[in-house]
Amino acid sequence: MSLEAKHVEIEPALRDLRNRTLKRLPGDFSRLVYLASSRDLSSGHYSHDGLAFHFGENVASKAMAACHAEIFHRLVYCSLEELIEELRNYISSTSVRQKDFLQSWTHLGSYRVTIPSDCDETAAEIFLSNVKIALAILQTREESALQDERSA
Amino acid sequence: MSQLLPYLGVASLLLVVAALWARQIFLTRKTRIEVIVPREHQAAGGSTASHGDFGERIFGLEDWHFVSRSMSSEIQEMFLRERAILAISWLRRTRRGASLVMRAHVAAAQQIEDLQLASELKLALSYFLFLILSDVLIGWIWLRGPVRTRKMVSRTLRTVAWLQGAFEQLMARIDPATCKTLRTNLDHRAVRG
Repeated sequence: MSLEAKHVEIEPALRDLRNRTLKRLPGDFSRLVYLASSRDLSSGHYSHDGLAFHFGENVASKAMAACHAEIFHRLVYCSLEELIEELRNYISSTSVRQKDFLQSWTHLGSYRVTIPSDCDETAAEIFLSNVKIALAILQTREESALQDERSA
Repeated sequence: MSQLLPYLGVASLLLVVAALWARQIFLTRKTRIEVIVPREHQAAGGSTASHGDFGERIFGLEDWHFVSRSMSSEIQEMFLRERAILAISWLRRTRRGASLVMRAHVAAAQQIEDLQLASELKLALSYFLFLILSDVLIGWIWLRGPVRTRKMVSRTLRTVAWLQGAFEQLMARIDPATCKTLRTNLDHRAVRG
């Protein structure tokens, strides 16, 4: 099947996914984490009950994979400053304290699982490197904020 | 000493041929570059670069300006180290891609009965020049970092991309089947000097 035909097949599911599920999430980083966590790491298939009910499991999975790749590429090509902002938005949307989050992500490298399965090696390297720098920057900011608090 | 003379003669001859070929490449490159390496770019919007512009993403100054303006020296060092690793990895991947294609071509060429020696020689020379320039570039980045060598990197990348274009064009003529697999992702226009 050609790429175009494939796209036509998943287009309604893509629209639904963007407008209903992803729109509600605060920023691209949150969307990336959401999509990556909907993927079965053993099979690489994505699951979304609502989407699968309307469009079938296969189409739903393909639409989610396409969205995952699209959002990932946006984050690969956004500036470091924007990525830091995206990451900060994502952290504040979770219930975890920023300090704990940063420590956990830096030590465990949890962001590695957010990479789409069939992405370019260089794109993956750029993303991982930028997230690593963004985490270090946020950690530095966190530390200096804590120091300011103590000295005040 | 006299036993070495034939070897020296052959080596000198090869050097002269290589120099003439390189000269021809550099003299004609400006007029042919647009035809040889046309790249499709997809706008991604905002401050983002287009997909596939890995060179622009890696060597772009926007991030460096942000880091150098407002970050500590530790973060700056980390940034430069990370970018150097990325740049070298990208160049090595590109180099590996070209080597794979060349190996495939050599295997295919062994089956061809009426080999065109001149074209094969040109192909081999442009391939070796491509390899040498890629290595020089890797060395520069490794020694001086991606930001300080940016202008030199930009110029060298343009030459490397031209050589890649010449290589692709020759491959397309000599061995169209193998040429189809030549996708090394190196875009000379991706890095503005």
